Amino acid sequence: MSEMKKIKNLKEFSTSADRFEGANLLCPGCAHSIIVREILNATNDPMILSASTGCLEVCTAVYPYTSWDASWIHIGFENSSTAIAGAEAMYKALKRKERLPKSCEGKSPKFVAFGGDGATFDIGFQWISGCFERGHDMMYVCLDNEVYANTGGQRSSATPIGASTTTSPAGRVSYGEKMNKKDIVQIMAAHGSPYVAQVAPNKWKDMVKKIQKGFATEGPVFINAMSACTTEWKFAPDDTIAVSDLAVDSLVFPLYEIENGTKLTITYRPKNKIPVRDYLGAQGRFKHLFKPEYEYLIDEWQKRVDDYWEYLQRREEAGV
Amino acid sequence: MKYLGWDELLPGAILFSFDEEMEKDASEVLPENRPYAETNSYKAYVGDWRVLKPVYNRDLCIDCQFCWIYCPDVSIISRDKKMIGVDYDHCKGCGICVEVCPTNPKSLLMFEEQVDNDKALAEWPEKE
Amino acid sequence: MAEKMELNEIEVWDGNMAASQALRQAQVDVVAAYPITPSTPIVQNYSSFLANGYIDGEFVMVESEHAAMSGCVGAAAAGGRVATATSSQGFALMSEVLYQASGMRLPIVLTVVNRALAAPLNVNGDHSDMYLGRDSGWIQLDAFNCQEAYDLTLMAFRIGEDHSIRLPVMVHQDGFITSHTAENVRPLSDDEAYEFVGEYKPMNAMLDLARPVTYGVQTEEDWHFEHKARQHADLMTKVFGKVEEVFEAFEKKTGRKYNIVEEHYMDDAEVAIVALGTTVETAEMVAKMMREKGIKAGVVAPRLFRPWPYEQIKKALSKVKAVACLDRSSPNGALGALYNEVTASLYQSDNHPVITNYIYGLGGRDFTVNHAKEIFEELDANAKEGRPTTPLQQFIGPRGPKLSFY
Repeated sequence: MSEMKKIKNLKEFSTSADRFEGANLLCPGCAHSIIVREILNATNDPMILSASTGCLEVCTAVYPYTSWDASWIHIGFENSSTAIAGAEAMYKALKRKERLPKSCEGKSPKFVAFGGDGATFDIGFQWISGCFERGHDMMYVCLDNEVYANTGGQRSSATPIGASTTTSPAGRVSYGEKMNKKDIVQIMAAHGSPYVAQVAPNKWKDMVKKIQKGFATEGPVFINAMSACTTEWKFAPDDTIAVSDLAVDSLVFPLYEIENGTKLTITYRPKNKIPVRDYLGAQGRFKHLFKPEYEYLIDEWQKRVDDYWEYLQRREEAGV
Repeated sequence: MKYLGWDELLPGAILFSFDEEMEKDASEVLPENRPYAETNSYKAYVGDWRVLKPVYNRDLCIDCQFCWIYCPDVSIISRDKKMIGVDYDHCKGCGICVEVCPTNPKSLLMFEEQVDNDKALAEWPEKE
Repeated sequence: MAEKMELNEIEVWDGNMAASQALRQAQVDVVAAYPITPSTPIVQNYSSFLANGYIDGEFVMVESEHAAMSGCVGAAAAGGRVATATSSQGFALMSEVLYQASGMRLPIVLTVVNRALAAPLNVNGDHSDMYLGRDSGWIQLDAFNCQEAYDLTLMAFRIGEDHSIRLPVMVHQDGFITSHTAENVRPLSDDEAYEFVGEYKPMNAMLDLARPVTYGVQTEEDWHFEHKARQHADLMTKVFGKVEEVFEAFEKKTGRKYNIVEEHYMDDAEVAIVALGTTVETAEMVAKMMREKGIKAGVVAPRLFRPWPYEQIKKALSKVKAVACLDRSSPNGALGALYNEVTASLYQSDNHPVITNYIYGLGGRDFTVNHAKEIFEELDANAKEGRPTTPLQQFIGPRGPKLSFY
């Protein structure tokens, strides 16, 4: 195990040398790259990375350019988890056989897979589940923007109730998405993963602490990273951090972690809890909910968020 | 990068990040000291995506590094804990750096792309 | 260190055991696999080798064939020797990743125990899965018996991993007829086999931390064509020579001779069956019988199915008057694949034999000596007439009215 990088404050963090490059093709104001930078900069250990098909992949490895300064692989939409698990298996095999490349000897590369919520909650779920059951020493990061953003904003099983997407559009007789968001964090915790956490890039310190904890953990680690999407959530590109603040301060995205499948800890408690209404109101995808006939949905949203917060707190208190 | 014929390509459509072997991991080498390959997007340019550009006012900056951490495009250049400028080759003009800047007046402001930076600094607003 | 296994000069192995022993002897670094009939015993045998200390590589039992090939791709890109096994539906499930493996030029060895594709579901041997793989950019070698399944699996590593090739390789054998039939197999010792395969030489490894590399890029209309052209060109121009070289090296070591296109009784043959898999041995036996009756019969069998040995097929059939192409896969609305390939190979030839197509043995239906006899007799008539005396495409053996086309 290598030494953990010291990141006491933002000034110290800012001395990091990024391994993710600009002039990628992500939208201006995209939270994906903020998350990726925070994760990659959380350690100075070498990294072996993978990404599923999606915004991050299609914008960072468009021939003839790569935006990655660490080895990186993309296979398909559903298998960034298994791609990195395969690489991790090769590392173990070559280490045991004493055939690692010289440049790899004595190093502790971190194996990290990225995937969007579509790749994680939907099409790639089986592959992730398999990797976690088998206990690969890897981190899986879901860039959760609650929509298939790369292909033009179709609903995924991470899309929350009431969001208007291109396949669950709000219309004359519809308020948009009808299904509640899948609770991926709890599902991954139920795999018995040693460490599962929800993070948000605007809370960088909480994020870095969790990522470092994840890297220090042996076994499969799952990180659900809220990624506010300027294009599909429909807010101005310069509002990414402001909308992210509304998400965590309204507790729509509570920040917490679960160790060894059960021990739940809330890692961020907003000083001023913001009404869910303010979070919804900041985004075009929920605009229609503010019509009188759909106001009840906002009340239901608030109740759902309050109930879930209550549930998290009770689990934390109970230590289970 | 110039277009290549099929016979000039590396098998497998792979891309290398650097031209030379790296003795240290990139996390320990600052960008200015890295042997970037032509195929690294560091060498590419997206400045023409911008309509507005962030202009940086060193006199007001407190080096809090909020702009550095929240820049999606690795375009805030900080060295030795100090913010030293904006990388206009890679900045797409999203404006997040300006939004998160806590000084009053702000140390980063958006200006029309064609405005000269010195002129922008001369027009900087007063404390609110 | 993995323990060495003491082997007899002659072992009684079925095709699955032959393949799994070859994987063990090649000291594969990562096997990511998922069991499926009839290749399941390959995975089981490998598990048993591992449980008894004969394997020191990683063995990852994944949750699907798609994941098996995904894990193989990740492992191969990381930089080491990789192999797996599958059949039929599993092959179909991993087909997305087959293209990705070859497109990234990763030399994975896939032992395929051929089996029919559903619906309707069927566990027995036909060549539907092998044919499904034919545009995937892999090298495809075909074994006709257990010994060949063993030999070709060892050779596959040496062919695919060569730095001038860097392509994945499938080694096919027939489901049940080869995979579950015990035959005499002469293995190499563990040391000899590993020496023949050679130590894996990494190329563009993700684990070479001094040279970070990006695998699996996006290319659109401005770059995609060139990359596909490069891969096709390498398949068309580099593989044949390398395969011949490895076949020769293997012959030197074992005395067992392999050819890109196998020929039996072809020196003076006037009629020939072209077939794949276990059918080749049946046809060979019947060709001998036909010769006793005065029909100059021969058999041509592509050992290499992809890249397609256009020149070698043209040469092998340069003197015959009638050819039957036997396809063990339903073409579902076309002439059989073997028929199309062979016909295309001969179209530019000076020799233009009558070529007919037989669809046979689907879902493991027996191909009998009598079937082969009838085909040779029909070929004899075609040769004498100089034109087809039968419909161009005939189905052999399904119940119901005789099925034929054109």
